[in-house]
Amino acid sequence: MWILGLSFAAYLFALWKSPLLYAGLVLQAAYIFSRGAELGRLPLVGPHDTLIFLAASMAAFAAAFAIALKDRSRFLNTVATIAAVCTAFAMTSPQQNTPLPPVLKTVWFECHVVLAFMSYALFGVAAVFGGVYLQDRQNSFEGLGYRAVLIGYCLFTLSMIFGGIWAYLAWGTYWIWTPKELWTTILWVYYSFYLHARLRQWWMGRPMAVLGIAGFAITMFTYLGVSLLMKSSHSF
Amino acid sequence: MILFNYIYNFFFSLRTALWLLVFSLITLFAGAFIMPLHEEFQVLHSTPLFEWIQDQPLKITWWLWTLIGILAVLAVNTLLCSIESIISKRKVTQWLLLISPQIIHAGFLFILLAHLLSGIGASQKMAAASEGSMVQISGENTVLSVKEINMSFDSRGYLNDWDVSVEYLSDGNVLHRDIIRPNQPSTRMGFNINVKDLRPYPREVVLLQINREPGAMWALIGGILFTLGIITLILLKIRMER
Repeated sequence: MWILGLSFAAYLFALWKSPLLYAGLVLQAAYIFSRGAELGRLPLVGPHDTLIFLAASMAAFAAAFAIALKDRSRFLNTVATIAAVCTAFAMTSPQQNTPLPPVLKTVWFECHVVLAFMSYALFGVAAVFGGVYLQDRQNSFEGLGYRAVLIGYCLFTLSMIFGGIWAYLAWGTYWIWTPKELWTTILWVYYSFYLHARLRQWWMGRPMAVLGIAGFAITMFTYLGVSLLMKSSHSF
Repeated sequence: MILFNYIYNFFFSLRTALWLLVFSLITLFAGAFIMPLHEEFQVLHSTPLFEWIQDQPLKITWWLWTLIGILAVLAVNTLLCSIESIISKRKVTQWLLLISPQIIHAGFLFILLAHLLSGIGASQKMAAASEGSMVQISGENTVLSVKEINMSFDSRGYLNDWDVSVEYLSDGNVLHRDIIRPNQPSTRMGFNINVKDLRPYPREVVLLQINREPGAMWALIGGILFTLGIITLILLKIRMER
C-alpha cells in the first residue's frame, strides 16, 4: 500500500513539477506487477484494482501524447489531478484478493477488461485535451483529442468484441441485456457520433471539445455508476 | 422528382446518419432508465427479442420499438452512403484509406444482422441436472445425459476448476460424447450447452443452459470486419501523418 501512497503523492506534486507524473506512473506500474505476481492473475477485479489501472493507463497515454506538445504543463497537470483522484478512491476501496472463478480464467476476459480500461483512459485523455482546448483555443489540442478518441474507440470496440466472444463461450450468448451492456452501447454509439460529427466542418473546434468532455462523463458513469448502482453480471 | 430528390438526399446524407445516432442515443438513454424499473426485462435474455416484445405493454417497450426503427433506417443509410463513397471516390490512389471505413460499416451491418437473427430465432432453456440426469435438448428425440460431474477446490475452499462429461443419446444409442469445461461449451445440432452454475452439496448438481444463438456467427464476422477496418484506418492515418 505504501507504493500506492507514494504514487498518489507523486501525482499530487506533479501539479507543481510535471515530470513527477512519470514517477507516479512507474510506481503504479510496479504496484500492478507486484499485485499480479502475488495473486497469480491479472489484478483487474473490483474498483481498487481497476481504478489504479485506469490512473496508470491515463498517465501512460498522457506521457505518450505529451511528446507531441510544446507546452504540456497544463495538460499533464490535469491528467495528474484525475490520476490522483482515481488513486485516492482506489486506496479507500477494499482489495479483492479471492481467486477468480473458473469462468473468468480466460484470455478473452483478460483482453476484454484490459482493453476496456485502456479505452476509458484514452477517452479521459481526450476529455483533458478538450478542456485544455477550451482554455487555450489551440487547434493542436483538439486534433490530439480526436486521435485519442479514435484509438480509444478502436480499443473499446475490440473490448466489446472480446467480451461478446467470452460471453458466448461462457454462457452461450453474446448479448445478455444487462444495464452494463446497454450503457456500453450508449458509450459506443456516443463515440460513433463523435467520430462521424468530426467529418463535418461545423463540429470542429469547441463542439468537439465539449463532446469529448461529456463523453468522459458517460464513460465514468458506465464504469462506476452502473457497476455500483445497478444489478448486473458486470458489477463488482 | 422532388420527392425522389428528397428521399435520395435523406438516405445518402451524413447529416441523416448524425441525427439517427442522436435519436438512438436518446432512445437508449430512455431505455437505460426504464429497464431497471421493470421486472419484465429480467427474462428478456432468455426469450427471442421479437417474441418477448410483442407480449409486453407498449409503455415499457416503446423505446425498443423506436430503436429498432431507427436502426433499420440507419442500416439503409450506412449501406447507401458506403456504396456512394466507393463509387464517387473509386479513382483515388489511396484505395485502402477509402475502403477501410466501408469495411467498418460492413462490420456494423453484420452485427445488426446478427442481432436481428438472434432477436427472431434465439432460444434459451435451463435445466438442473445431477449425474445420471437426462435433459431433452431439442424437439426431436435427442437427449443429453449427464455422466459425470467433477469439481476441484483450492485449500481455502474456492472452486478452481470443474468439468461435466455428457453423452448425446437417441433411442438409447450414444450419438456423441463430450466434456463441458469453463468457457468450453458443448455444441451440437445448433445448440450450445454451458454450465451456468454448480452446487457441490448435498450432492453435485449443475445448472445447464441450453442456448440457440443464430446470430453468433454473423456477429463474429461483423466483429472481425469492424476490427480489420478500424485498425487499417488508424495505421493509414498514422502513416499519412509521418
